[in-house]
Amino acid sequence: MKISIFKIGTSVLGLAAIFSLSGCNSYNRLVILEQNVNKKWADVQSVYQRRADLIPNLVNTVAGSANFEKSTLTEVTNARASVGRVQLDPNKAPEDAEQLKKFQAAQGQLSNALSRLLVVSENYPQLRATEAFQNLQAQLEGTENRISVERNNYNSAVQDLNTALERFPTNMLNKMFGFKPRAFFQAETGSEKAPTVNFNFGSPAPAPAATAAPTP
Amino acid sequence: MEITLKLSQPDPAVRAGLAVLLGMTTMRRRLRLGILALFASAIVAHAAETVPPKPDRYFNDYAGVVLPGAAQRFNEQLAQFERETSNQIVVAVWRKMPSQSSIEDFTQRTFQAWQVGQKGRNNGVVFFVFVDDHRMRIQPGYGLEGALPDITCNEIIRDAVAPRFRANDFEGGLAAGIDLIFKAIRGEYKGSGKTVRESGSTQSNPAGLLIFFFVLVIILLAIRASRRLGGYRYTGGGGPFVSGNWGSGSGWSSGGGGFSGFSGGGGSSGGGGASGSW
Repeated sequence: MKISIFKIGTSVLGLAAIFSLSGCNSYNRLVILEQNVNKKWADVQSVYQRRADLIPNLVNTVAGSANFEKSTLTEVTNARASVGRVQLDPNKAPEDAEQLKKFQAAQGQLSNALSRLLVVSENYPQLRATEAFQNLQAQLEGTENRISVERNNYNSAVQDLNTALERFPTNMLNKMFGFKPRAFFQAETGSEKAPTVNFNFGSPAPAPAATAAPTP
Repeated sequence: MEITLKLSQPDPAVRAGLAVLLGMTTMRRRLRLGILALFASAIVAHAAETVPPKPDRYFNDYAGVVLPGAAQRFNEQLAQFERETSNQIVVAVWRKMPSQSSIEDFTQRTFQAWQVGQKGRNNGVVFFVFVDDHRMRIQPGYGLEGALPDITCNEIIRDAVAPRFRANDFEGGLAAGIDLIFKAIRGEYKGSGKTVRESGSTQSNPAGLLIFFFVLVIILLAIRASRRLGGYRYTGGGGPFVSGNWGSGSGWSSGGGGFSGFSGGGGSSGGGGASGSW
């Protein structure tokens, strides 16, 4: 009799230990996922910054060219300025979807202004033939591509975190320790973006895993 | 994991299909069909993002624009470059881009899938050429964005490769491109004298480990059983059996025959580089 009580006691203790261990595990996992999201967010910020840093140089180069259409230039400068006004904390991924939407809108406006400038520049063959302009164009195109890559990486990191937060054992922790889901970048509206494959069920969140860094 | 991700955002079409099904079938069939539909959509979505399989060499002329001898030579050059510098450069020449998406999107996905460059260093470069599309792209990994910035990629394409391609001199164009990439990134990292394939220290095979433990457990059980029976008959056979199995499981990574094989080191790219046409 005694023995069976002892047995029950130990097995209950054992179960409790297993549960708390798995709890620790999930907690650690959430921390890792959250850090990953923040890191990816910082990467996104740095590529946006990289683009912003290119703009003064671009404006100077283009403005130096004779009678370049002024309106496209001012548009770029204005968009650059409004991007500067919508700053988000570069070290912490945003929880507020609205905030991220505003940020994205400002950046999108700058993207549009820049692509319009590149289109208009087609009319200025002398400008396009210059080494400086060609270099700037290569850098701009590379940076635009980096932006879309880092945004995808960020979104799939958010996807991982948010999914983990909704799943069973971890969703209890999320209330206990105050983990919060993070906001996604929305798919680009309009046709200003190069078409990317849409394997994505038509929902605004970009597909996971496709462009994410491989996680073995 | 994959499937739960997909399930969390069902396709409107699938949802509509489900709604119709819900209207006309019984409860059990409903469930089964719903699950089937979701699985099907997950599979379709997966098929759309297929990337070309990992290449087994450095120089991959899928379009047949270069003579086999030259291809072999390029491949050895590139393998030797990895031995010396640990930088992995892969050249892939296709007839057409095997994807509907933009070139940058395709090359990014391919780069990530092939894992070109060493893990941690991310020092890979992939030189993509699509012959019939007249498009190409040089894309470095994160770790070579400094040595091979977008401007340099653009210059290599514009000044050295494109003019030769325009004259249908693919071998010359590729040779010039490879050479200039070598020049740009040599000295950035030091090599170990071996390629990833040759050092064979790729990730340990989880299946092999599992088999090993499985065999170990069986042997331990056998030993216990034999002890209980009072004899030592099975213990003698145990040792060599384990080591034999283990040895054969891990010794397969070195590449075959006449060319230096390529294995991705786990590198990653952030979408840098430049595209061009001719």
